[in-house]
Amino acid sequence: MGSLKPADSEGLGFLATRVDELINWGRKNSLWPMPLGLSCCGIELMAMIGPKFDLARFGAEAARFSPRQCDLLVVAGTLTWKMAEAVRVIYDQMPDPKWVIAMGVCSSSGGMYDSYAVVQGVDSILPVDVYVPGCPPRPDAVIDAIIKLQKKIERESPVRRLLKGPGVIDETGTGRNFKQPNFAFDHSSLDLHPHDPKAKIEELQK
Amino acid sequence: MTATNTRERVAAALEGLTFELVDTRDGMLTLRVPSATVRTVLERLHGRAGFEQNTLVTAVDRFPEEPRFDVIWQFLSYDHNDRVRVETRISGANPSVPTCTDLWSGASFSERECFDMFGIRFDGHPDLRRLLMPQGYTHFPLRKDFPHGGIEPDRLYREWDAKRRAEWGANA
Repeated sequence: MGSLKPADSEGLGFLATRVDELINWGRKNSLWPMPLGLSCCGIELMAMIGPKFDLARFGAEAARFSPRQCDLLVVAGTLTWKMAEAVRVIYDQMPDPKWVIAMGVCSSSGGMYDSYAVVQGVDSILPVDVYVPGCPPRPDAVIDAIIKLQKKIERESPVRRLLKGPGVIDETGTGRNFKQPNFAFDHSSLDLHPHDPKAKIEELQK
Repeated sequence: MTATNTRERVAAALEGLTFELVDTRDGMLTLRVPSATVRTVLERLHGRAGFEQNTLVTAVDRFPEEPRFDVIWQFLSYDHNDRVRVETRISGANPSVPTCTDLWSGASFSERECFDMFGIRFDGHPDLRRLLMPQGYTHFPLRKDFPHGGIEPDRLYREWDAKRRAEWGANA
């Protein structure tokens, strides 16, 4: 924030700042999280919002179950490909500006689920701002992520973005940056997983 | 009731049919039957031997052996408090077995799951759709020649996403 000028003799104070900083200050201190608890991380998320860890200290306690009222999507847990469409719709329904936290290793990278059913990191379908490691991460870790996100929001330029007009639909979320071992069964340099049957099949075909 | 009585009751119910008793580690009475007569065996177990409940329909992939799949049913009788397991071996090319949903309607989801995971068709099933994997997926994850990381698991998502974006473009 800018400098606070002293009140004049008649008691009328004023605040000098930049519009960007004022908007960012408002945004970062009133994040409304969308609690998307997909597995065990959801329990830690509830603990974080609850009285003991008290997310209200950081202004982000107003969890709403409607994406229309939220600006922070917390993907808490294992995202499967079957659920991915729903998550993407939820993200699209959130009004701008919006941010995403990938909570836990499953949503950050697929975690231990190196599997055909699990999205190997939600960043292949969503733009992610902060990744939180842990299985599940402690509420402290997620609060740390929210503080990091607040620092990130401080650096944004909302006015410039406003003047630029509506953006084009980008390629984020088309699954183009999707990386998964073995995903192309016939030709891939990545399919050297120890459980991969390809080597055995080739051996049998000889 | 002892296992001997179960065996006698099942043998009486399956009179005239070929079956082979298999020793299993868990001690459950296990019948190995040829796939041609499996439907008759199931009908007799339901009607004559009094197994009211189907507890499991599943399969085992013996890849690369041929015939490839073991299909396994397990049944429970409340009156006699005993269980029986039926196994049959079917070919890997276009695998199919008759359904038992008309005898045990609870077998419906088990058969759908088995179809979803192994690609075994249950002939006569009223609604043989995928149960766990998304509709439109064309591979069968529990087969042994299915790679660990899946075959194009993101294909359906990308198709959905491309369609949605095309609609946005048309409306914009």
